[in-house]
Amino acid sequence: MRLALLEMRRAKLRFGLLTGAVSLLIFLVLFLSALSGALVNSFTGAFSNLDADVLVYSDTARDNIQGSRLQPDTVAKVAAVPGVAAAGGLATTTTSAQLSTGKSDLQVFGFTPGAPGTPGGLTDGRLPSAPNETAADISDAAIGDTITLLPTNIELTVVGLLKGAQFNAAPTAYVDLASYEAAQKAANPNAPYVPINAVAVNTEPGASASTVATDIGSTVQGTKGYTMSSAIANIPGVSSVSQTFGILVGLTFIIGIVVIGFFFLILTVQKMKVFTLLRATGASTWQLTKTVSFQITAVVFLASIVASLLTFGALQGVNTGLPVSLSPALVGAVVVAVWIFSLLTGSLSVRRIRAIDPASAAGAR
Amino acid sequence: MASNTTTADTASTGSASTEPILRVNDVTKTYGEGHTAVTAVANASLAVKEGEFVSLLGPSGSGKTTLISMIGGLLTSTSGTIELGDVDVSTLSKKDLTAFRAQRVGFVFQASNLVPFLTAKENLVYVATLRKDYDRKQASKRADELLGELGLSERIGNLPEQLSGGERQRVAIGRALMNDPDLVLVDEPTASLDTELGRQVVQLLAREVKDRGKTGIMVTHDLRMVEYTDQVFEILDGKLSAEGTGKEKAKSH
Repeated sequence: MRLALLEMRRAKLRFGLLTGAVSLLIFLVLFLSALSGALVNSFTGAFSNLDADVLVYSDTARDNIQGSRLQPDTVAKVAAVPGVAAAGGLATTTTSAQLSTGKSDLQVFGFTPGAPGTPGGLTDGRLPSAPNETAADISDAAIGDTITLLPTNIELTVVGLLKGAQFNAAPTAYVDLASYEAAQKAANPNAPYVPINAVAVNTEPGASASTVATDIGSTVQGTKGYTMSSAIANIPGVSSVSQTFGILVGLTFIIGIVVIGFFFLILTVQKMKVFTLLRATGASTWQLTKTVSFQITAVVFLASIVASLLTFGALQGVNTGLPVSLSPALVGAVVVAVWIFSLLTGSLSVRRIRAIDPASAAGAR
Repeated sequence: MASNTTTADTASTGSASTEPILRVNDVTKTYGEGHTAVTAVANASLAVKEGEFVSLLGPSGSGKTTLISMIGGLLTSTSGTIELGDVDVSTLSKKDLTAFRAQRVGFVFQASNLVPFLTAKENLVYVATLRKDYDRKQASKRADELLGELGLSERIGNLPEQLSGGERQRVAIGRALMNDPDLVLVDEPTASLDTELGRQVVQLLAREVKDRGKTGIMVTHDLRMVEYTDQVFEILDGKLSAEGTGKEKAKSH
């Protein structure tokens, strides 16, 4: 370790440039991962934070909650299926609304307070408990704001603020199911009833969500059950966004670790004369391997700190319109992955070290 | 080919020991196989006592570096045995050869070959860290003492690039002695030095080897440097022969 540290201390410029380059690569991975996470979460947050183990759609919905139409009495039918602990109706629609910042599309969810389907992610205030109250995930919204649904001009008062509860990357407001029905009735006075889009289900303790979802589909006519992970994966656009960003992040990651491996290979090749001398004077291959591994670890560690600060700063400075944040878990996962794979690509350097013939220090070959 | 066994037992040795500590018995080194085989050292034998400093003369490509590389555990011989004290070097595994080099042998290579990013003192301390019984304080103290004896007290914190050629060679000598080895192998120590500086370095080497009771072998092609050695061996086309004492050989030159 001492040899590695002394070299880094004496070659500050070289290792500084290397750390800078690795920082930028890690920054790119972190930034893209954070953006990807925020984008996917803006599509799926409503479901990710929902209090439910299973969602039930109509079997003609083609796996999309917005294409699902269920009669309100479906909730009771689903609640009667073995393995279901509780069920609640969930309705959603996209409408226009006047927000404090101007007119906008608004995704409105109706739920039964206290029943499955209640939203999560409350950061301030409370969930709605009276007609025309709402808890919303809308940027720049504040408690006490008024949201006017168009064209009905129904006014909702913001009583709670949610985070990570958007659907389809749109501002999202949650109201109780009765207020939702009233708003829908006002828009369509001749409708015989207001359909719900889904039934949210909590399973009994120990019951398999997958099994319960299947049982509901086979027991309640015209329905199909989905586990939450499958419901999230089926949200339109989610898989393509995930795949696109996955490819981007994956490619950046692979290029990053290969570049790190090459950097250290170049450093190793430049130091072959020194390593040969050290091997001749009695340093083992393992001791030299530890030196290179320590330097890789130190560079990745320092670069990770720089990259995290850079990413944090960039996310503050860039307005993506999405609630992008840098979670310690993401930073930890990326750093550990970069470190492990950098050590693996560092094995290119180790191969060179293992091939050193100490006799060449004396020029005997 | 007949083997040539020669013992450097001249009156000039400063050692009380009579038994050779280094025995090279009928050693051959051949590179390649079949038609392409090249014999670098053929049936070489020699014995050197503790406290003796001998020189190995020969022109470029004669096999002298190959021979000391085998003696120092850098190369393995094709046949024959090399014994240093109670260790048969020719039977050691690669791993054991690495430990052998770290603990029993000190090397001074051509053009000093110091680690460029370590100071003079750190170059010495590093080789001490290769020992299993490394003690940081003791190593630091010994490095200070050695560099002091070599006249480098004022240069311990200097990097190799900040030292002159002679100073670098003196640091290399200190490094070779750092682990208190039984054997000091020196390869062309004057190659990059002018005559006077080269002479000073060889004198210093001879003194350090003798004063510390080590066994030293110096490879050189410079006849002017052999007068400081107890015995001279010459190697030509891989064949080793004894050429008398250093003074005799220098006088005949």
